[in-house]
Amino acid sequence: MNAAPGRLAPRERTELGDYPVDAAWSGDGRMLLVAGGEGQLLLLAPDASGPPELIGRHEGGVLAVTWQPAGRLFASSGQDGEVRLWDARTRQGRLIHSSQAWSEQLAFADNGRLLALSTGRTLQLFDQHGELRASFAGHAGAIAAIAWRPRGDQIAAAGNGGMRLHRPGPPAESRDYPWPGACLSASWNADGRLLASGMQDGSVHLWNVASDDESQLPGLGAKVFATGWSASGRFLAAAAASVLVVWDFNRKGADAMRPIELAAHSERISALAFRPSGSWLVSAARDRRLLLWRVGSASEPQDAHLLADDCTLLRFSRDGARLAVGDSLGGLTVYDLTP
Amino acid sequence: MTSRIPVTVLTGFLGAGKTTLVNRILSENHGKRIAVIENEFGEVGVDHELVIGADEEIFETSNGCICCTVRGDLIRILGQLRKRRDRFDSVLIETTGLADPGPVAQTFFIDEELKEHYALDAIVTLVDARHIEQELASSPIALEQIAFADVILLNKIDLVDAAALARIERRVRGISATAAVIHSRNADVPLERVLSLHAFDLERALALDNAFLEPARPFEWAGIYQLAPGRHTLATGAPGHDHDHDHDHDHDQHTHDEGNRLAQVDLVLLPAADASAASIEALLESATTLFESEALQAAPGTALAPRLRHRLQLAPGAQFQIDVPDPASGCWALFSEHAPVEFGLHLHGAKPLVQREFGSHHHDLAVGSIGISDARALDANKVNDWLSYLLQSRGADILRMKGVLNLAGQNRRYVFHGVHMVFDGQLERAWSSEAPRRSRLVFIGRHLDRHELEAGFESCIAR
Repeated sequence: MNAAPGRLAPRERTELGDYPVDAAWSGDGRMLLVAGGEGQLLLLAPDASGPPELIGRHEGGVLAVTWQPAGRLFASSGQDGEVRLWDARTRQGRLIHSSQAWSEQLAFADNGRLLALSTGRTLQLFDQHGELRASFAGHAGAIAAIAWRPRGDQIAAAGNGGMRLHRPGPPAESRDYPWPGACLSASWNADGRLLASGMQDGSVHLWNVASDDESQLPGLGAKVFATGWSASGRFLAAAAASVLVVWDFNRKGADAMRPIELAAHSERISALAFRPSGSWLVSAARDRRLLLWRVGSASEPQDAHLLADDCTLLRFSRDGARLAVGDSLGGLTVYDLTP
Repeated sequence: MTSRIPVTVLTGFLGAGKTTLVNRILSENHGKRIAVIENEFGEVGVDHELVIGADEEIFETSNGCICCTVRGDLIRILGQLRKRRDRFDSVLIETTGLADPGPVAQTFFIDEELKEHYALDAIVTLVDARHIEQELASSPIALEQIAFADVILLNKIDLVDAAALARIERRVRGISATAAVIHSRNADVPLERVLSLHAFDLERALALDNAFLEPARPFEWAGIYQLAPGRHTLATGAPGHDHDHDHDHDHDQHTHDEGNRLAQVDLVLLPAADASAASIEALLESATTLFESEALQAAPGTALAPRLRHRLQLAPGAQFQIDVPDPASGCWALFSEHAPVEFGLHLHGAKPLVQREFGSHHHDLAVGSIGISDARALDANKVNDWLSYLLQSRGADILRMKGVLNLAGQNRRYVFHGVHMVFDGQLERAWSSEAPRRSRLVFIGRHLDRHELEAGFESCIAR
């Protein structure tokens, strides 16, 4: 299905019967795994007809899902304190971790060999067989976000008191990037040099892990709950309350620090996502609007759609051709995007 | 706005009975589904799908502003829980004993996403009647937990005597004039008095006690007696064990703490025109001035003279004399630093013909309540300016603020409540045609200045 250039073309909305909390595309973009807030783990095949396939449950609600980038494994965690590793071919899952506390973040490394999960103040790495390979405890606060460094074997964990970088090894090593504040997100730029985090105090903090410099981008007035880099690493986007801004890192001097506001949402922004290629950014807010931006070339949205309700998630497939959009009425819509 | 899920915050020192109450809430058949977020070290032994252990995590901002601190763990957990919201009706958050209630309460005013889905319903503070006086003496947190409370559960009342209970209740009311005070043993209290109160039933709370609408007085009680000339005996002590003894409990725990009894009390005696409330009113300023003069130490047996501040040294059964000069028989007003029940004050052969209580005035507590009640309509913009200024300049000291406002040109009540610098308000039901429109505000906090607050309020009157 081809959409007009620079437009989002929606497919039919799928009724999930559950609240979409998280979603993950298979590497080839054919399958979409959806985590339900009421506990359902659903598999959708956008190119095939038929209802979503229920493949499992987490009692109390699913928290997170992740799909092995070029493989057939995926993982899920839930409010039952369990983490399961699934095989898409057999639809069989097995328990690899269980605790009283929730494992709130999951992420497969780019090479697909390691699965990271965070549980409270601890980060753990499992291999493809579900064996524990490394455990990093003792974070200052609960881990709020994790992100694998592109083209590297390190993972960043954000939390209250700063950022930590872990290398699985052997030998395993960790490095602290302390900052007096609560880090809420973790986003690497494409070359893996810059690590950005949205902060509770309304600023965005930036670490250059290659040069060991760090800087703080000015405050947005409310907690910055989401950050993201464009594919080229030129643009950094951040959302706080109803404010959506981007910084252009091609700018020099004082100009580089001045955010460009993308003013279109009238209510609290719910999610943002850069397309994995090009400079396309999508944002969605409680005003039910889904907006497509061509960052750097226009200050008005390129395309706009009205959602059924508040957006719960935005997930691009790895090739950037598809965008999954969840809504809080329990629906999921796939949009096609042709640049 | 869709209906928000009510949140109850449970505070109180270790041993006050929080775990007992939480267990009762979980096990009692009340027909409600309540999600319980207990602190990591909680002792709730119930394995329950809606009991979630939280690691209390305070998010501070780099500017160090206490009013911006929130509970990061609650934002995450409640953010997840709301996604299955049709499966519970309300939320109960248990805090650790030493927790400052500020950040947990502020979380529900500051975080935009939580605010959309949850509303702080009430802060319930459990107070261990046996230990609260020592705790108040040694910990500012105990004081704050009471000051922040909407409901104070005075628990373990079977373990203190009537005099101590009266003293504690007065002291608690002196800190928070608007909190509902409920007596309990073993945290046994009807749950509808703790959960989903629809909050801050402000009008009821603000109507409860008028004492805090007045300037603080250095005395808690005044009474007028008719006394014949001659010598009268003023006795203290043995206020009477009129409380119920629960003979099932462990007697080792039944230790009325003698160390908590009052050691001294200040009294002033003044001639009164007659035995009327107006006479007490007329003497208030004289009595207040006398309470600011130097106190004369009075050992048991001392004869007390009019128009002097006596400091009675209390001992079990201590008696004092009052000599009424001849021919000045008639009415005499006695002003007492503490309520008579707290130290068993009584005059042999005489009862007060009229009496009046005043707000508690423990000067060791810098925390208190100040109320304002006024029928004049307010200018909404001016109110906004005033409250913004007040919260910016005094937000750290103002722990709680609640009010119902009579806004000019608005036929509905504006109801608000806040914590430190943040507050939440909305227009609620219309004013009734039967009762007059009247604004009522209360501020609970440290070092509050009535004059400053009244002047600020005055500046908001619609012209």
